[in-house]
Amino acid sequence: MGVPAVEMQGLERVYRSGRSTVAALAGVTMAVERGEFVAVMGPSGSGKSTLLNIIAGLERPSAGVLRVDGEDLAALDEAALARHRARRVGMVFQAFNLLPRYRVVENVALPLAFAGVEPAARHAKARALLERLGMAARAEHRTNELSGGELQRAAVARALVADPAILLADEPTGNLDSASGATLIGIFEELNAHGQTVLLVTHDAQIAAHAGRIVRMRDGRIAE
Amino acid sequence: MRWADLFAMSLGNYGRARLRSVLTTAGVAIGTALVVLLIALATGAEDNVRRSVFSIGDLRLVTVQPFQPGANGLSAVPRTITDEVVAQLRRIGHVESVFRQFDAPLGTIVEGGDDATIRPQGIEPNAPVDRGDLLAGRHLALGDRAVAVVPGNIARLIAPSVASAIGRRVTMRIGGAVKLGSTRIGGSGTPRDYGITVIGVFDEQASGTSVRIPLDDALAAGADNRGLTPDTIKQSTGYSGIAIEADDSTNVADIVRGVQELGFSSFSLKQVIEQIDQGFGVFRGILAGIGGVALLVAAIGIANTMVMSVLERTREIGIMKAVGASPRDIRALFLAEAAYVGAFGGIVGVALGIAGGQVIERIIRNLNPRTNPGPIFVVGPDLILAAFALAVVVALVAGFLPARRAMRMSALSALRYE
Repeated sequence: MGVPAVEMQGLERVYRSGRSTVAALAGVTMAVERGEFVAVMGPSGSGKSTLLNIIAGLERPSAGVLRVDGEDLAALDEAALARHRARRVGMVFQAFNLLPRYRVVENVALPLAFAGVEPAARHAKARALLERLGMAARAEHRTNELSGGELQRAAVARALVADPAILLADEPTGNLDSASGATLIGIFEELNAHGQTVLLVTHDAQIAAHAGRIVRMRDGRIAE
Repeated sequence: MRWADLFAMSLGNYGRARLRSVLTTAGVAIGTALVVLLIALATGAEDNVRRSVFSIGDLRLVTVQPFQPGANGLSAVPRTITDEVVAQLRRIGHVESVFRQFDAPLGTIVEGGDDATIRPQGIEPNAPVDRGDLLAGRHLALGDRAVAVVPGNIARLIAPSVASAIGRRVTMRIGGAVKLGSTRIGGSGTPRDYGITVIGVFDEQASGTSVRIPLDDALAAGADNRGLTPDTIKQSTGYSGIAIEADDSTNVADIVRGVQELGFSSFSLKQVIEQIDQGFGVFRGILAGIGGVALLVAAIGIANTMVMSVLERTREIGIMKAVGASPRDIRALFLAEAAYVGAFGGIVGVALGIAGGQVIERIIRNLNPRTNPGPIFVVGPDLILAAFALAVVVALVAGFLPARRAMRMSALSALRYE
């Protein structure tokens, strides 16, 4: 068994603007076990992206307990949270978020650069991952020479480069055509088959259907 | 993050907005060049003044004058330098040697109908005034009597050439009327003639009227002139001055203090130099300040560039933070970029300052080909290093606030930034 990859208890996130407050998360309790492939579904504004951002350490919860890979994120300072983002989680965004100035292999290796791994080692790791994702030929290209599907595969490689406990994906197919989207989901399934824990946020039921478990959210709560 | 990665990445960032980076760097270069140029000018001026002071004499030398300390000009209160005083002077710490000097009354060298007015200086062998300036012959030595070391112009009155004056016997008339310029003035006492042999000729640049004779000869002549004995004249008139040599020029101040405590006025080039240094310190500070203003303007340019750079790269900062860049990494990236501006600007500026100084120096020398001062702009390794370091430090300071801004940016809002 061991500890779950992600564990949440009564997780809340409240945004204040002026006098009004909006609860993006209003008490979420759930766990993602190691090796699971979970899809979080819900309409926009349901808090699913906020949930992902909090797990990624990009945002802090207002209340509640969150443990990723057994570590309580509330106890981490900014520097430790940065290490958490570099090594413990891997994030794939809808907007790819690659750095256009760098070659693909450099983009993929970036989390390891911030983790202090030396260039030869991190580039070898990045190339191996790109090869696994069918991107070996694109390693030395700049990101503006890549198609959307290729960009997102590079982003997945970057998310995986530090062997994270969990792969987080926020609407990863949102900017892709259906063929590229299907390829990407195939990659997620294959990664999961090899033991990678995946937590995916989407509003697309077809995409979610590939996951082992679907969690539905509404108004900042788990709906079922 | 490793240092090598940090510097490689920020170098890439520096090179990205090339025109802007070049312009900002140019600002730093101009500021640095101005600092280098102005300080080099001040240093050159100081060196020139110091060199001319050094050419006057030895820095280890302290001259004791027969006055009370603090006095100058007409208000000087005389004090007699007796042999007891000399003994006390010898006991001051760091005193290496003490040379007594007695100036006999003014006199003339009587030769070939053309009298030359002289000031006979009675000195001891190896006295600081009687060193290393010979055109011919030798300096005074121990046991010498009835000899003289004369300036070149007087030697040429005596003999057709400086060298042929050596060994010539001439008459030195001490006391009585002397000629000063074209007027004859009544000297002191009755004139009395002494036969002397010229043993050395010194370069008259130091003095065209001083004639160096043995101390005992001068004392005897002074005593004769006033009808006294040498011993009484030592006691009543005392020595004209004492030259003290310190063991090291750094100890001159101690000796000066000791001389003043004994109640005598003193003079040392070392102290003159210290005053010159002080004055030039202020001068240099003012010039450096002017250069500093230029550097300040450059710093504002850097800050502006960095603010722009942070704004432009907001999204990139967000991405970097999202994939694991710590706040320190982000700050270091921008500080390193600012440091590149400072370092490149510093290198170019130092080179520009040196080159500019040489160009200006050449122009000045071409305009005044006859004057030949020492180097006008003096750039030492310390100035090069200091100017470079200053450029980098100024750049880092200017980059600090923008870098902090980048550091504090929320990763999430930076990711949403378009």
